[in-house]
Amino acid sequence: MKRKLILAINLLIMGFILFFIIRYANTKAEESNENEIIAFEKMTMTTNQIIANYLEDEQHLCDIWANYINRSAEDGTPMTAEEAISFIRKAKISSEIEGHLIFLDSSERGGISTTARVSDPSVYTVSYAKINIFDNIESLDTMNDVVCLTRAYTNPMNGVQSIAFLNKVNVFDKESGEQKEGILMRVVPLSRLEQKLVILKGEYENVEISIVDKEGNYVVHGKSFKNSNFFEYYKSYNVASSEEYANVIQEIAGGTGTMTIKNFKDEDCVLSHTPLETMTTWFLLAYIPAKDLVVSRSIDWLLLGIATLGFLVLLIFNSIVMMIYNRELSEAAKQANQANEAKSNFLSTMSHDIRTPMNAILGLNEMILRDSHDNNIRMYSESIRTAGSTLLGIINDILDFSKIEAGKMEIINVDYGFASLLNDLVNMVQKKAEDKGLSLKLDIDRNIPMVLYGDEIRIKQVIINILSNAVKYTKQGSITFSVHANKIQDKPDSIMLRVSVADTGIGIKPEDLDKLFVAFQRIEEKRNRNIEGTGLGMTIVQRFLDMMGSHLEVESEYGKGSVFSFELEQKVVKWEPIGDFQEAFKRASSERINYQEKFTAPDARVLVVDDTPVNLTVFASLLKRTELQIDTAESGDECIVLFRKNKYDVIFLDHMMPDKDGIETLVEMKGITDTPNIGTPVICLTANAISGMRKMYTNAGFDDYLTKPIDAERLEMMLLQYLPKEKVAIASENDDKEDNELPNFLYDLKGLDLDAGIKYCGDSEDYLFALKTYLDSSEKKAEEVEKYWAARDIENTTILVHGLKSSSRAVGALELGDFAERLEKACKNGDLEIPEKELGDFIIRFRQLAKDLEPLNDLDIE
Amino acid sequence: MRRTFRALFSLSMATMLLLQGCGSGKKEEVPFSPKYDKDSEFSLTVAGSYGNFESLEAEFERFYEYYPNATMQYVTMDDYNNVISSALVNSEPPDIFTTNSYMIGDEKYDSLFESCEVLSDSSVGLDYSCIRDSLIRTTDSGDVVMLPIFTTSYGMLVNMDIFEKEGLEVPTNFSQLMDVCAKLKSAGYESPVMGTDRFSGSGLFNCFVYPMFSYNVIKNSDKVDALNNFDSSSGELMRPALERLYEFVNSDCIDVAKCQEEITDEYDSVIMRFFEGDVPMMLATGDVVSGTAKRESKSDAFSANPFKYRFFAAPAGDEGGYFINSVSICFSINKNSRNIDMANEFMRFLISKKELDNMAGLKRLITPVDDYSTNELYSALEDIPDDRSFTDKETGLLDPAVRQFRAAIYAVGNGEMTVDEAVSAYGNIPEE
Repeated sequence: MKRKLILAINLLIMGFILFFIIRYANTKAEESNENEIIAFEKMTMTTNQIIANYLEDEQHLCDIWANYINRSAEDGTPMTAEEAISFIRKAKISSEIEGHLIFLDSSERGGISTTARVSDPSVYTVSYAKINIFDNIESLDTMNDVVCLTRAYTNPMNGVQSIAFLNKVNVFDKESGEQKEGILMRVVPLSRLEQKLVILKGEYENVEISIVDKEGNYVVHGKSFKNSNFFEYYKSYNVASSEEYANVIQEIAGGTGTMTIKNFKDEDCVLSHTPLETMTTWFLLAYIPAKDLVVSRSIDWLLLGIATLGFLVLLIFNSIVMMIYNRELSEAAKQANQANEAKSNFLSTMSHDIRTPMNAILGLNEMILRDSHDNNIRMYSESIRTAGSTLLGIINDILDFSKIEAGKMEIINVDYGFASLLNDLVNMVQKKAEDKGLSLKLDIDRNIPMVLYGDEIRIKQVIINILSNAVKYTKQGSITFSVHANKIQDKPDSIMLRVSVADTGIGIKPEDLDKLFVAFQRIEEKRNRNIEGTGLGMTIVQRFLDMMGSHLEVESEYGKGSVFSFELEQKVVKWEPIGDFQEAFKRASSERINYQEKFTAPDARVLVVDDTPVNLTVFASLLKRTELQIDTAESGDECIVLFRKNKYDVIFLDHMMPDKDGIETLVEMKGITDTPNIGTPVICLTANAISGMRKMYTNAGFDDYLTKPIDAERLEMMLLQYLPKEKVAIASENDDKEDNELPNFLYDLKGLDLDAGIKYCGDSEDYLFALKTYLDSSEKKAEEVEKYWAARDIENTTILVHGLKSSSRAVGALELGDFAERLEKACKNGDLEIPEKELGDFIIRFRQLAKDLEPLNDLDIE
Repeated sequence: MRRTFRALFSLSMATMLLLQGCGSGKKEEVPFSPKYDKDSEFSLTVAGSYGNFESLEAEFERFYEYYPNATMQYVTMDDYNNVISSALVNSEPPDIFTTNSYMIGDEKYDSLFESCEVLSDSSVGLDYSCIRDSLIRTTDSGDVVMLPIFTTSYGMLVNMDIFEKEGLEVPTNFSQLMDVCAKLKSAGYESPVMGTDRFSGSGLFNCFVYPMFSYNVIKNSDKVDALNNFDSSSGELMRPALERLYEFVNSDCIDVAKCQEEITDEYDSVIMRFFEGDVPMMLATGDVVSGTAKRESKSDAFSANPFKYRFFAAPAGDEGGYFINSVSICFSINKNSRNIDMANEFMRFLISKKELDNMAGLKRLITPVDDYSTNELYSALEDIPDDRSFTDKETGLLDPAVRQFRAAIYAVGNGEMTVDEAVSAYGNIPEE
């Protein structure tokens, strides 16, 4: 299509240029034609002058004859007609020229000729009785023209077409004895006049010259002029109304000019006309076919042809060059695709290779968190989980970006509970915020509908990215997460969610705002080098929002904080409002302290296949509390053996295994008929988490897939989906309620974050134990601090304050922990002014907390 | 007497030649093929008395296709009949010139014919077999020195639209003419037949009855000499034609006075009056018909309401009309031509059925070749049986006898003489 478009544009431009050339050439040709016509007209006038001169000369000679004869008459010795003719016979030089002396009043308009009649050499008499040439010149006296001339006629003496120059003479009439008037004619062959016209032929090969009288009768008849009369000729071959015909006659009689007429071949011809200068009754007509006069258009066509050819050659050349470039580009694109494929393979491998050990790390860490009661170990383990999650986040960001770039990211809309989405978000961020001593403020519209329709996963990803960024780039202060919903006027079944995250972080300089959405570009790289991240987060956010028909808005003040917000239209499935989310979340948080298995299924049997033994251990450990019977296999072959032998309810099969990978193993399994496992769901375990995986695995025959590192909750959810219902016993929510209960007075303590404490400690039992220990040692610690500070033993004071920082944070006394941290830093920095002012206050608050915790002494805590 | 002898001699020679020609039969026409180099440069002049000769000029153009470097020119000569003899021997002689059949036998033109190329000479290589034999004229010695280009006749122009409108057929004999004229008269046509009341051959009386008279003369060829010699009794041969004329002018067919008033000459006025569109039949010669093409556009009435018209023989006879064919113009070659070979070449080109038909068609005269059908205007002549089709040459009448006949019909037609008076006065009837 693009190629056709380029070709069309090229042809269009070519057409335009050719059109311009034609127009230009035509204009030039028209100008040239006009000049040619003017030149032709001038040539006609030159010819006119030559003819006029010739006619004047001939007339002059005639006048000399007449003057001589008349002088004799004036002298009283008039010549007789014979004497006059005799004189002329002697005076004329050319034998072609004759002199006729005619008496118009004679019956035959007869007279005498200087030359005998050709057909009878004895006869010198001449008669003009049947030659009508005197009608217009009988009144010779009244003629004003310099030249007095007859039309072309046939000389009656020799039959030669001739013209005659006239003058009046007086001769002696022997019969009457008196003088009488006669007309002296100098008869000249017409061919003499025609010879004068040859001059034009040199310049214009096909020119035809005619001389016509005022009636249009030819005096000199050009070859191409038909008829005996020019006006008849014009009328015969030109379509003209009587008015136009009259105009032509008038124009020719009117003076010099040029007109276009059709000739007998229906060709356009240029006719130049001019009255003969010496006469008012004769007109010179020069006629030439227009194609001979006007500039030959063949030159234009040649130019046009060359230009067209040139353009075509250029087009072909360009097309060839383009084709070569396209091939090179295609090759480059192919290479780029290969490189991209290599990148995808690399990402896939990396994903696999990182996720595989991560599976072991996070899985086993989960076990530590579940089983360990040692606070320090749990604290370390918690850190491992946090770091692991961060690492996974980075990997996921890269993989998401890779999906978006490949155009394989899709928005999949489903019904989702908005409260659940908020829960997940806050759960994910709150811990990070707390870890940094930031306060996460929630501003959730209580009227947001309960169930919406949209891509829950991507929305969650967008918000978590923004929230995580806010936490990352905020050192102190708060993060405010607001979600509000407004009805859309034109769409009664939808709402517009407005999500915003405001922080009191470092802010963004206006000039850096553009960098925010550039992949892999991080703002103030130097300053933020210690902040983890790939620089992809905002890019991914923006792309996801684009795909969902929204965009991210950023307001930021450098040094003071930023507000990231977006609006998102969502269809409403259930209009029931979510209510007071903060309250609900707080309550839920306090209730969700420790891990609790979702079900137990002691009769169910699953097979898990993975070439990495530690992964098998993790898998089995994560499901330990579900009491599932778990068989493991470390290879495809081993799997096949067990597959034939035992009946399993679900089989988890790793994809990437040496020798026989998961897909090959599955294909073999599908081919086996002597097995109790026909129809048993097979779920792929994969560390590959790049786009297109689901399609690939379902196409390969797997029922589902689970990415590594294995998320314990997803694993349990998947099992719940695939295990036979009769073998599954759903765990009661109240099973461990007693274990999880905390004394009510603790909920009223403002300085204590119970969730944080429970999280640190693993469960409420351990937490209570930690609080009791904290309480028991409190007075002793307070005194020691006072003692060392009183002695200005800064080193020991710092050690003690450091200890209080950790222990306070471990029991959820986060503000006190931060207070201790500030004092610790001040001491370390030798800035004693702060402890001088605040240490006392710190001890008071520490003792107050201990006092608040004293009801624990009444409890049986071990 | 000498003229009579010459005429008879030429007639007999022509008959001999005709018999020869007829004996050999008509040949299939061979298309013209140039004899000389196509690039030959030459110029030829054709001299004649026609003021315009467009049909010839059209042939020049066709000839240029074979000889593009030729220059052909037609020259109108003043006082042609007197001047042509001198012109043929002057310093700038024409190569081809027009001649008329009446020139043969007239000693005035002896010198003219002496300058003529003998076209029947085999060395000239001219095949004129396409021309109707009866139209060929020869010299006393039997040489063919002139070839007919156009022929003419006497008859009438018929406004076909009027006949179509009135639902009438064009009359082909005298009784039909009377019948049709009566109907036309009652339909409002004051003078269903018109023509110019002139003494000349174009005169309406001549057009109406001269063919009938000629037919009668041919049928009584033994009396031709008496007619030519003005024997007083020979005038009786005119009687049938004069009685038919008398009958005609005194019928409803024609209003002679109206003709005299409305048609003022024998050519232009005849055509222009016919183009008024209200004259069903206009007596005219072929020469008059030849002027119709140019005058169609000059007539406002015809331009506004054009109509179809054709030439028919005048239905003067009881059995039908008579078609008398006269040579209108001939071409001869000047043997003194400076380009005698090319002049012969042009004649070779021109004397062919195709070119002669073309010329006649353009000129609106009757072709000298044996087929009238190519020209729709004259196509009705095809229908006249051979018995009533003849040439003026066949009558054997000499010009004086013809003029006496014209004087007789002019006098009878205009009521100046009775039929009996005209018959008895033959030889002494006053001419114009």
